[in-house]
Amino acid sequence: MAVEIPSFLHLARPLAPAVIGVQPTTAPVNVIIQPQAVFSILDHAIRRDIRDTQSTRVIGALLGVRSEDGMEVEVRNCFAIPHTENEDQVEVDVEYQKNMLALQLKANPREVLLGWYTTSLELNNFSALIQNFFASPETGTFPHPAVHVTVSTEPGKEIEAKAYISAPVGVNAERAAESCLFIPVPYEIRYGEAEKSGLELISGAKDSENRAAPVVSDIEGLERAVDQTLDLLDRVAEYVSSVIDEEREPSNALGQFLMNALSLAPKVDPQDIERDFNNHIQDVLVVSYLANTIRTQIDLSQRLATATLTMGGSDALAATGGGEGGEKGERGGQRGGKRGGRGGRGGGQQREPREPTE
Amino acid sequence: MAETAKEVPLNSVQVEALVVMKIVKACAASFPTTATGSIVGMDVNGTLQVTNSFPFPTADIAASDSHPNDHMAASNIAAAAPRSKANATYQNEMIKYLREVNVDANNIGWYTSANMGNFINTSLIENQFFYQKEVNERTVALVHDVSRSSQGALSLRAFRLSPTFMAAYKESKFTAENMQKTKLTYKDVLVELPIIVHNSHLLTSFLHQMPAELPKEELDFPASLADLNANPPKIPLYPNLDSLDLSIDPYLERTCDMLLDSIETHYTELNNFQYFQRQLAREQTKITAWKAKRTAENQARVQQKLAPLPEDEWERLFKLPVEPSRLEGMLNAKQVDQYSRQVDGFTASITSKMFAVKSNLLPESS
Repeated sequence: MAVEIPSFLHLARPLAPAVIGVQPTTAPVNVIIQPQAVFSILDHAIRRDIRDTQSTRVIGALLGVRSEDGMEVEVRNCFAIPHTENEDQVEVDVEYQKNMLALQLKANPREVLLGWYTTSLELNNFSALIQNFFASPETGTFPHPAVHVTVSTEPGKEIEAKAYISAPVGVNAERAAESCLFIPVPYEIRYGEAEKSGLELISGAKDSENRAAPVVSDIEGLERAVDQTLDLLDRVAEYVSSVIDEEREPSNALGQFLMNALSLAPKVDPQDIERDFNNHIQDVLVVSYLANTIRTQIDLSQRLATATLTMGGSDALAATGGGEGGEKGERGGQRGGKRGGRGGRGGGQQREPREPTE
Repeated sequence: MAETAKEVPLNSVQVEALVVMKIVKACAASFPTTATGSIVGMDVNGTLQVTNSFPFPTADIAASDSHPNDHMAASNIAAAAPRSKANATYQNEMIKYLREVNVDANNIGWYTSANMGNFINTSLIENQFFYQKEVNERTVALVHDVSRSSQGALSLRAFRLSPTFMAAYKESKFTAENMQKTKLTYKDVLVELPIIVHNSHLLTSFLHQMPAELPKEELDFPASLADLNANPPKIPLYPNLDSLDLSIDPYLERTCDMLLDSIETHYTELNNFQYFQRQLAREQTKITAWKAKRTAENQARVQQKLAPLPEDEWERLFKLPVEPSRLEGMLNAKQVDQYSRQVDGFTASITSKMFAVKSNLLPESS
């Protein structure tokens, strides 16, 4: 289900700043990014404030889960952090980060802080500074490495993403805090089964002018899927016939694949199919019919429950007694209707097993 | 603000792709436990734009008590989350922080997850009422059906309570008399708004990088079958071919089961009401008897030249039973309506799929 996997030669991860007594792991890291985190980063990039800062990028924290051995991190969530940046200094709202992190973790207790993201591909001195903040033992992810994801958000260009972890670079003691070595790590954007239908809907809107699409019903989705499949089948059929006509180059692998696929079709007796088909379709239609009957019954019952007094106008004898009497009569009627509904259902259940014999 | 709000009634909900994904993730992660959260955004000319969302914290309470019926309890807590006090604080806090990063700091409702359309219950009504009775009444409830989305198109729906229902609920008057007066039926409880999914420019650009249409140009032939299996061509996200899955019967079966459950509930409601009717009738016979006795007594007293006894004492002596609220029944009716429509939807796709299968296996008969 991976969408994008850049190839990487990954040798070993450099050591994080070592503290005596703690053995940092040296295994490589694989970063998995879920689409909603990407969406969130892109949304943040659009909402950036360009008035009081010279920077064109925004930053935020990445949240998610880390596998037990620390080899794989999955970015599931992220939040924006306000920051200002100009030529010689950068300011990150540390207080904000702390509070927001606490709030986010309250709702998703299984997630942990993984690192941070920014919306430009550039790595500079400030990146190192922020990276060290996120990787530090007090405020960051130590002993695990902090992951840094950069996403390019320049309008009109491809959206690129890169993932890094960092290693300390010994320039000298004073400058250690603002320098580090960024090492690219492999990443992939991966989506799960549950998100598929959501992504389908969202991608459905990508070719339209106003970037919007209505939520479709099941049957419309089915129609589109069938159309698509028919197109694909046509394409395959066209290829196969042109191979037979010796117009196009044949391929053994494709032939094998198609043979395998075709041999999956079950071999059944046409009469069996006919019979099973008829039985099943009758069952389905009866279920539908009964569901509709029930709906009508309920509708009727609700109407009768309230439409009493307007019809039985003659029983305005006593203030309460008459009204309740009329009401009672109607309830009786409703009960009768209700019984009819139950009877219908019972009948349906008896009918269903009977149908196969027809 | 209330006046301007009245002018343009809400007519549609526009959901950002980000919110769709966040809701899908939050709901799927906690399935089958109910998940709830808050949505923020703004309202532009009758279109409610939902631009961000965040889940409500529930897990800490659920984790603390671990009795056997854990997941039901967690569900109930989660379902009640939107109107609990702690979460109102959480929501305000979160919105305050979101404002700092230029997210629309305006709460416009909440979302909840559902399982096979079983979302119409008192919890939904209470939550939505809680939101809609506030000053900013232009709020909406988004319902994401996890089970239905897993077998077909995404099921995300937006609901509001109708103004008549709001009025009735405020006074909690669900007697037959009142419902006749306001012409409130179960069909008017919820108003469904159409949902439009909206993508930002950047997102559109990102989506175009994801696998989309199949490549039109000639491709290289795979070297071997193993090669083809190892590197399958990328499948586009749209349209979703998963909806061609044939095993739809379990869903239909479960919906039918739930429909039957609802009918049981309906029957219980009816029994309750009949019990009330019998009680009422019994009390009324007693009252009439008492009244007749009192009249006779008074006539006797008049003949004896004594002051007549008061005739309205029965109000103190007898107590008429209270009419049970019609709300439950109404919601149940709505739920049945919802289920049967769902069955309709399922049967529609099952039948078409079955015909497809049939003509596939028996090409000569079609």
